[in-house]
Amino acid sequence: MAPPHSFFRSTSFRLLAWYAAVFVASVAVLFLIVYWITITAFDDQLSDSVERETEVLVELYRSRGLNPLVRAIELRTVELRPPRRYYLLQDAAGKRIAGNLPPMKPLEGERILPVSSLLADRSAKPDDPADAYPIVAHGRLLENGGFLLVGESRYRAVTAREAIVQALAWGIAITVLLAAAGGAALGVGFLRRIEEINRTTRSIIDGDLGQRVPASGSGDEMDRLAKNLNAMLDRIQVLMESLKRVSDDIAHDLRTPLSRLRHQLEAARGKAPAGGEPVIEQSIVEVDAILETFSALLRISQIEAGARRAAFSEVSVEQIVSAVCDAYAPVAEDRRQQLKARLANVPPIHGDRELLTQMVANLIENSMHHCPAGVDITVGLAQEAGAPVLRVADTGPGIPAGERENVFRRFYRLEASRTTPGSGLGLALVKAVADLHGASIELSDNQPGLCVAIRFPAPTAARGRTVQTQR
Amino acid sequence: MKILLIEDDPHTAAYVVNGLRERGHVVDHSASGRDGLLLASGGAYEVMIIDRMLPGLDGLAIVKTIRAAGTRAPVLLLTTLGGVNDRVEGLEAGADDYLTKPFAFAELLARVNALARRPPIVDEATVLRVADLELDRLKRTVTRSGKRIELQPQEFRLLEYLMRNAGQVVTRTMLLENVWEFHFDPHTSIVETHISRLRAKVDREFGEELIHTVRGSGYSLGASP
Repeated sequence: MAPPHSFFRSTSFRLLAWYAAVFVASVAVLFLIVYWITITAFDDQLSDSVERETEVLVELYRSRGLNPLVRAIELRTVELRPPRRYYLLQDAAGKRIAGNLPPMKPLEGERILPVSSLLADRSAKPDDPADAYPIVAHGRLLENGGFLLVGESRYRAVTAREAIVQALAWGIAITVLLAAAGGAALGVGFLRRIEEINRTTRSIIDGDLGQRVPASGSGDEMDRLAKNLNAMLDRIQVLMESLKRVSDDIAHDLRTPLSRLRHQLEAARGKAPAGGEPVIEQSIVEVDAILETFSALLRISQIEAGARRAAFSEVSVEQIVSAVCDAYAPVAEDRRQQLKARLANVPPIHGDRELLTQMVANLIENSMHHCPAGVDITVGLAQEAGAPVLRVADTGPGIPAGERENVFRRFYRLEASRTTPGSGLGLALVKAVADLHGASIELSDNQPGLCVAIRFPAPTAARGRTVQTQR
Repeated sequence: MKILLIEDDPHTAAYVVNGLRERGHVVDHSASGRDGLLLASGGAYEVMIIDRMLPGLDGLAIVKTIRAAGTRAPVLLLTTLGGVNDRVEGLEAGADDYLTKPFAFAELLARVNALARRPPIVDEATVLRVADLELDRLKRTVTRSGKRIELQPQEFRLLEYLMRNAGQVVTRTMLLENVWEFHFDPHTSIVETHISRLRAKVDREFGEELIHTVRGSGYSLGASP
């Protein structure tokens, strides 16, 4: 629940990471195609070039004979102009006649010569960088049994390929950066608006129903979401207010005549004819019971509405529980029950002292009313996993497992306790107070008896929530 | 005692006014918030009883206004809401006590008397004395006829509250609120149990009873009933 959410764990980050990955992958595929086509074009061009030169020299040999060919080759091997080429002319015996390559096996057609084949002859220009690269060569057998080979260094193709690879690497790096930066910019904006919605809903959960999600006014999907949420909140607020109005109306319209009735009964008390007094007393008790049920219902509704949370402060559960136990211990003793408190030191929680006091009192009274004389009622307070846990356990008849969920419902009473006094609202109030404090309730078998555990949230989490509310 | 009542419900108003007048108090009554505010600012009342929900101007606003104007007279707020926040809001606005309708007249009367006699906090004596009973608030000791009585902390607080309101009726609800800080009605006899234990220690071994039960109202501590 701790805001601010890590950006890297957010949905928008995941979406953007996917988007960036797909984007980078498609750019990479595009670059690969460009690379492949360019390299192939370079190699084709090189093959064409050596083949054409071979044709020219073969043509020269055919038309003019061997000597002009030898001269032409010698002339070309000393030429400085690019493209730098390699030549070999050998006779039928495999002896070199001209050129700057060592003799080799006469093979027709294209082949690639490794760099090592050059080392035999470095007459021309030993420090030419092109010498460090393989050669694309084209060989032809001559009519006199001789062999002619023309080659060209792949130097330019290789350097061009390196340049292209470097350019593509930069291109991909920039693409990744742009995708990440653009994605982060979009994502942070998106996340900020989601966080605004989260903040608003949290303060509404904390009881401030007047909050609304801010809209940016751009009319986009987020604005529409904000608008719909606000419309829903308006509706909830109207419903809550009408519920509160109905409750208040019941309080005012029904309690007022009941109060009058009570006043009249009280006024009649002294004037009743002989024997009438007990009837009037009994009627006052009955009216008080009805009025009390009304109060309890209204109180539960108000607690559930959560408005009380605004008045929360740091309270010591330990102090509250200890005070309530002190108040009830003599009462239990008079009923021949034993009330024991086992209280550990727990950190203070954020809550409402008055309501927590009533909650503890209701739990103790619940055990006292539903247990016969002779039982032990133990109130325990412990710290478990950093959070205070209150346990009220008795050794009485307990509650069947199937009924445990129901006892927190208003007016719900177990079959066995229908005849005992009580409104059936005590545990409903306990639940309302626990919910208000974000605490969970567990009912379990105390073997024998009932154990009610109230697990409060860890104090740090509770404090974190207030800080947000105050923002 | 001169008392002001601001209450719009005629029935409750008649009930309160008649009850108070029967006991010899002078009561001014106003049914609307605005008229009530005029009366409250004008007359010197010892206690004011103000309904929280009023037509025109509500009770909280009246209390805030008269407190801002410097009126110090104690105020008892009445309400029909079984409100959880109401008590706190009322006290924050400047009211001194709070009573939820419907109430028994005895409850109202006891609270009005307690408010009228509420001593300024600075003047509260360190040692409280009623007849031969003596309670030292600093040393936390209680003696009767010079004989030391050992009390539990809660019994001490209960006796202290009774002695501070000696000679007056204190109701069960007043005790719950002031001694135990219980702002709800428990379904067990907490007050009765603690009073009977206190009696056993304070009264039983001595001739004269100091803690009296006032039928239909509550308890009172004093030399004579």
